[in-house]
Amino acid sequence: METISDILKSERQQAWRDELRKSMKAKERTSIPRVKMPEQDPHVRNKNHSEVNLGLTDEMAIKEAQRCLDCVDPTCITGCPVGINIPKFIKRIEQGEFLESAKTLKETNALPAVCGRVCPQEVQCEANCFYVQKLKKDPVAIGFLERFAADYERNSGNISVPGVDNKNGIKVAVIGSGPAGLAVAGDMIKWGYDVTVFEALHEIGGVLKYGIPEFRLPNEIVDVEIDNLKQMGVKFETNFIVGTTATVDDLRKEGFEAFFVGSGAGLPKFMNIPGENYRRIFSSNEYLTRVNLMNAANPDYDTPVFSGKNVAVIGGGNTAMDSVRTSKRLGADRSMIIYRRSIEEMPARVEEVKHAQEEGVEFMNLNSPVEYFADEKGNVNKMLVQKMELGEPDSSGRRRPVPLEGSEYEVKVDTVVVAIGVSPNPLIPASMPELEVTDWGTIKVDKDTMQSSVEGIFAGGDIVRGGATVILAMGDGRKAAKGMHEYLKSKVGKK
Amino acid sequence: MADLTTKYLGLSLSNPIIIGSSGLCASVDNILDLEKAGAGAVILKSLFEEQIMMEVDASLREAYRNDMIYSAKSESLDYIDLHIRERTLSAYIELIKEAKKRLMIPLIASINCVSSAEWTNYANRLEEAGADALELNIAILPTDENTGADKIEKVYFDIIEKILSKVKIPVAVKMSPCFTNLAQMVKRLSATGINGIVMFNRFYTPDFDINNFSEKSSNTFSAPSESGNVRRWIGIMSSRVDCDLAASTGVHSSEDMIKQLLAGARAVQVVSAIYKNGKEHIQEMLGGLHRWMNEKGYNTIEQFRGKLSQDKNENPSAYERIQFMKYFSEIK
Ligand SMILES: Cc1cc2nc3c(=O)[nH]c(=O)nc-3n(C[C@H](O)[C@H](O)[C@H](O)COP(=O)(O)OP(=O)(O)OC[C@H]3O[C@@H](n4cnc5c(N)ncnc54)[C@H](O)[C@@H]3O)c2cc1C
Ligand SMILES: Cc1cc2nc3c(=O)[nH]c(=O)nc-3n(C[C@H](O)[C@H](O)[C@H](O)COP(=O)(O)O)c2cc1C
Ligand code: SF4
Repeated sequence: METISDILKSERQQAWRDELRKSMKAKERTSIPRVKMPEQDPHVRNKNHSEVNLGLTDEMAIKEAQRCLDCVDPTCITGCPVGINIPKFIKRIEQGEFLESAKTLKETNALPAVCGRVCPQEVQCEANCFYVQKLKKDPVAIGFLERFAADYERNSGNISVPGVDNKNGIKVAVIGSGPAGLAVAGDMIKWGYDVTVFEALHEIGGVLKYGIPEFRLPNEIVDVEIDNLKQMGVKFETNFIVGTTATVDDLRKEGFEAFFVGSGAGLPKFMNIPGENYRRIFSSNEYLTRVNLMNAANPDYDTPVFSGKNVAVIGGGNTAMDSVRTSKRLGADRSMIIYRRSIEEMPARVEEVKHAQEEGVEFMNLNSPVEYFADEKGNVNKMLVQKMELGEPDSSGRRRPVPLEGSEYEVKVDTVVVAIGVSPNPLIPASMPELEVTDWGTIKVDKDTMQSSVEGIFAGGDIVRGGATVILAMGDGRKAAKGMHEYLKSKVGKK
Repeated sequence: MADLTTKYLGLSLSNPIIIGSSGLCASVDNILDLEKAGAGAVILKSLFEEQIMMEVDASLREAYRNDMIYSAKSESLDYIDLHIRERTLSAYIELIKEAKKRLMIPLIASINCVSSAEWTNYANRLEEAGADALELNIAILPTDENTGADKIEKVYFDIIEKILSKVKIPVAVKMSPCFTNLAQMVKRLSATGINGIVMFNRFYTPDFDINNFSEKSSNTFSAPSESGNVRRWIGIMSSRVDCDLAASTGVHSSEDMIKQLLAGARAVQVVSAIYKNGKEHIQEMLGGLHRWMNEKGYNTIEQFRGKLSQDKNENPSAYERIQFMKYFSEIK
């Protein structure tokens, strides 16, 4: 049987790749500095909601693509959770065949324009690039190039809507319209199934829409993907909460034969410290959803405005960065990140931390809140913060933050956003006691098929992994679609 | 018939036997059984920061091993200690609520503190859940050669100050016997506004297995002989402090209990004896107390409580004699 590595090798030996490799000396390639992403000026962008990164020009992209050495053993691929053929898509860019490049991306990644923007490349593909591993140089900008090719395709108006097999009349339900659900829907519709996506909110796209802000991932990009799915025949039912509006059993009675649960991890966590119930203390989830979906940023709308002047965001992940940068854009004088470890240990993408710093966000590292206080109306007006130091490492090897006795001090705040992680949405597991869950509240699945403990019910994305990443959610969705397809084929065979 | 009631931390107890903080008081069913068996009050198993850290480590290890769980840059795992602490705390609060619904005797919650920064912020949640009082199990083993006595002592006062500012229910401190100036420390603690002092905490002592060159636990349970030191200090301090005293460690029999009451304790905490003899032992101890009071003609505990404390003792210097020169010199 041909292995993936055989396929990669034989593709690498194709004439066009060979020629391209020989067209430039390795030394020349490695002496090109890594491309800089053009971006809006920090002091301009921190007052608008448009995308910060502006995208590479054709020339920049080709030059960056030239840096890629088209390695015999492309270690970058092992760093990509969905195994994109990275050298091939990059060499297509070097060649100027941008549409071909996008096609390569789409072989394994349904949402390259999204992943190119939001993947934590510095711990995935780029971390495994030869430049980093062996040359101790900046990696090839795989993420920027991925975004470039995908954007090129979208802007060209030449998006290929994949062909769809003959309808087989089998109804499948997808619960949740985040990247996991969209990926399942995309594959299942291609294979001829009758696919309906049920979404609790009025918008489709999951975190891509209500979580990640416009300045990092414009909605338009997600909408194009959703439109594609619609054109292919996927049906979307919004404002439909499975478990409340109708249960899985109800849907079974309506003829749905298999289910994918991609309900995400949207349940916010709090620190449970005194005063956390005061007004104007939000979970990051609520804060971002209000701004992104309810137009709270738009003064013409009457969703409660909460553009505080002194905003503290607790946490160090992407959610925290998105919240704090949003607060700046809503007019805060002081936007603060309060995080208990040091800056290097933040789980956020490196680029987001850098952008936040440039935009004037204050980083109060090795600090943690202990109590909130409020004015007579119950609005938070002050917080007590404690300094931390790093103690002994825990079993993950990270040093534990330990409070420094007697180091408490007060900070004036009028808005607080708590962004310290999320739990899986409990509604579906709670409504189906036969569904096995882990101690983390995630749904247990078979690693290869993504089938849960209940036959015909598949799951993936954050509901299986805890708060994870877009690319993992999407990869899970595709794996689950395959599992579901096999399951339904054998079920029909048995009938 | 003698009246066995006593008052401890302002709470009315039907008798002076309190089941001390331990695994005996870790579930609603057990606690109800102890009540039925005659306990005057119960102290829940302590909430331990150390135990939470162990759970955090186990959970992290499991997450890193399980490739379905996202661990590389997870925001939730970044704060997992807080999340696990919250889970533990919620379970504890649930225990208090459930027990309170069905229990008639006082229920005292217990938190293990090694610094003022850990649980102090959560104390009011235990109060809200319905705990009748709070026992602070302050356990500091002074192993850091760079930390002076004053600094360690200060931790006690910092913890107390914080807790007292958070809760209105009575607070007791379960203290260590290891202080150079124990009398002064007890006196100062009693003046902070707390309602009681438990003398003393009994620390887990590691032992060696000399055949396998490994560590093993030793003496999980106390021996009655250990009650002597407690009796001495309760006797010395009971008339000098501004709060109640409870005896803990080595109270195994009604006789041990009577001695602590004579020294001035308002109640005794019993753990090892119950582990060893079962909860029926409570009735045995109460029966002994009853018989003794009848024999001596006492109707209430207050009639004899503190009768042999240092200030009432005919030979006060006996309390301070530590060398027993005469006694030892006579042993051949
Ligand atoms: C603010 C923020 C920033 C992030 N930044 C990044 C980043 O930069 N890079 C990255 O890779 N990842 C990032 N992530 C994580 C990433 O977005 C998620 O891992 C990913 O979206 C998970 O996809 P999913 O499909 O499993 O779930 P989601 O995207 O959460 O979608 C789940 C959907 O299911 C719906 N739903 C839930 N329950 C029901 C129900 N009972 N019935 C019907 N519908 C239901 C929800 O409304 C939601 O729309 C970020 C997350 C957040 C919150
Ligand atoms: C198994 C066991 C568990 C204990 N757990 C606690 C605890 O959680 N908190 C605490 O303050 N003391 C704890 N202790 C100590 C007891 O409360 C008590 O102080 C000690 O055992 C001495 O009393 P005794 O002689 O009656 O056993 C524990 C003791 C035992 C034997
Ligand atoms: S999808 Fe993410 S990990 Fe894979 S190549 Fe693109 S940026 Fe890298």
